[in-house]
Amino acid sequence: MDTDTVLKTAGDLLAIWTVETSAPEPNRLDVVIEAGYLLPAVRALDEARWGYLAGITGLDLGAEAGQLEVLYHFCSGAAVVTLRVRLPRDSAVVLSICDVLPAASFYERELREMLGVEVVGLPHQDHLFLPDDWPNGVYPLRKDAALE
Amino acid sequence: MTERVVMADKREKFIIPIGPQHPALKEPGHFEFTVDDEIVTDAAVRLGYVHRGIEKATESRNWIQNLYLLERICGICSHTHAMAYCLGVEKLGGVTVPPRAQAIRSLVAELERIHSHLLWLGVAAHEAGFDTLFMYSWRDRETVMDVLEGLTGNRVNYSANLLGGVKFDINGDQGDTIRRGLDFLEERTRYYLDVVTSDAVFLQRTRGIGLTTIEQAERLGLVGPTARASGVARDLRIDAPYAAYGDIPVKIVLDSAGDLEARFVVRIKELFESYRIIRHILDHLPEGELQTKMPRRIKAGETISRVEAPRGELFYFIKSNGTDTPERIKARTPTMCNMASVAVLAVGHQLADMPMILAGIDPCFSCNDRSVVIRQGEEGGAWTWERLRQYGIDFYRRQS
Repeated sequence: MDTDTVLKTAGDLLAIWTVETSAPEPNRLDVVIEAGYLLPAVRALDEARWGYLAGITGLDLGAEAGQLEVLYHFCSGAAVVTLRVRLPRDSAVVLSICDVLPAASFYERELREMLGVEVVGLPHQDHLFLPDDWPNGVYPLRKDAALE
Repeated sequence: MTERVVMADKREKFIIPIGPQHPALKEPGHFEFTVDDEIVTDAAVRLGYVHRGIEKATESRNWIQNLYLLERICGICSHTHAMAYCLGVEKLGGVTVPPRAQAIRSLVAELERIHSHLLWLGVAAHEAGFDTLFMYSWRDRETVMDVLEGLTGNRVNYSANLLGGVKFDINGDQGDTIRRGLDFLEERTRYYLDVVTSDAVFLQRTRGIGLTTIEQAERLGLVGPTARASGVARDLRIDAPYAAYGDIPVKIVLDSAGDLEARFVVRIKELFESYRIIRHILDHLPEGELQTKMPRRIKAGETISRVEAPRGELFYFIKSNGTDTPERIKARTPTMCNMASVAVLAVGHQLADMPMILAGIDPCFSCNDRSVVIRQGEEGGAWTWERLRQYGIDFYRRQS
């Protein structure tokens, strides 16, 4: 199956939760969804056995925008589908997708400690990378993190 | 103590901590294995002991400085990191890299795969108590290290890439040296394949151990040789060709057994494939330029760059805000995908198999650990970035 067809299949699977889509590159499809629909959207890709979870990227859009963005990258061959979820910066909460994809555990732990996103239902809430005595409430990958 | 063991309540758990000092290979990670007698019933992983804050650090360096920083994420697959970054930034910058440069990138990537796989073969053999194989494979690995040093001037951080191309060319003499090295290594590799599939003592440590089915491998999101040893046909050089791989026929190496032996066989067979690819590149090296001009500022946008590192898919997400400094760079290394499998695969195995199961994924902790900035005070002996930079400037001024 060529990349266009693979991307179209994913687009169709996610259609009912899609707020907005874009194709930033020929092999990519970005799908914006509401945080509340993350789990069913991930489940739809998993049940259709569409690709695999290649990683989770957290973005801090800055204090002015007041938002964080979490990107769930799924890959199938050359095709990359990214589920984009926007969260308010001061109360960033998202459901864990570990129930559907256990492989997400490390990515979610990293997201949690680096960007301060609360991941509800994540089996391990302890630090994966940060030291045990890392100060509470300091999230190093936030743009305004005080790291000195 | 003996009394405590005898009297232990059935519900009491025994947890054996392993690490953080060198749980298997000479890199730090911490594992807690819950055991029932000698059998592991649960496992927890703790990483981060070699965190250097690289992702965060990229946000305060320009695109060119970041090339050198990101190459230092890993001391084994440094070239793959630099290449993934360059390919991504070049895509964002709308720059087309000359074919000769792309071919040289692929060639160095395959040389790096050879050195990485041979390094792993030695480490894994050492974990199995087979130190003769360790010594042999590391001795032979020097051949490819010499080739890399001859080409680039460096054994580890080859610094072959530039944004927009590569730094060096390959002439006929160098091509002949590479071919001679490959001929020697090919013969040695045949011997290794024979050893790992026929040595009875070694097979007791590998055959049927760490079994991963294709369903598990897919579900756990395994990548690279670890996935291919479970029959998952996933190789970015074929699935999403980058650099010069679109013009090079790459054959996938698969094994359906899914145990440690299969991981040895797959990596060793991949060595043969790398030898073939390098010869193909040398035979078909396109003529032309080595570099093209790159803009200093990269136009705003996001890109994803994926390359097949020796350990599997290396995934870069790069976001530019239109300046000379990136907005965000995310590097997801293959060990991140494969490490999750260790905790799952450990259950049901003997405690003594743990180092081998860990070594079986060819973990790279430095790759895994990246994202924290730790700036210590001057008095602690640690240097600030400015001080380190100034030292470098003064050092090279004295040399010239």
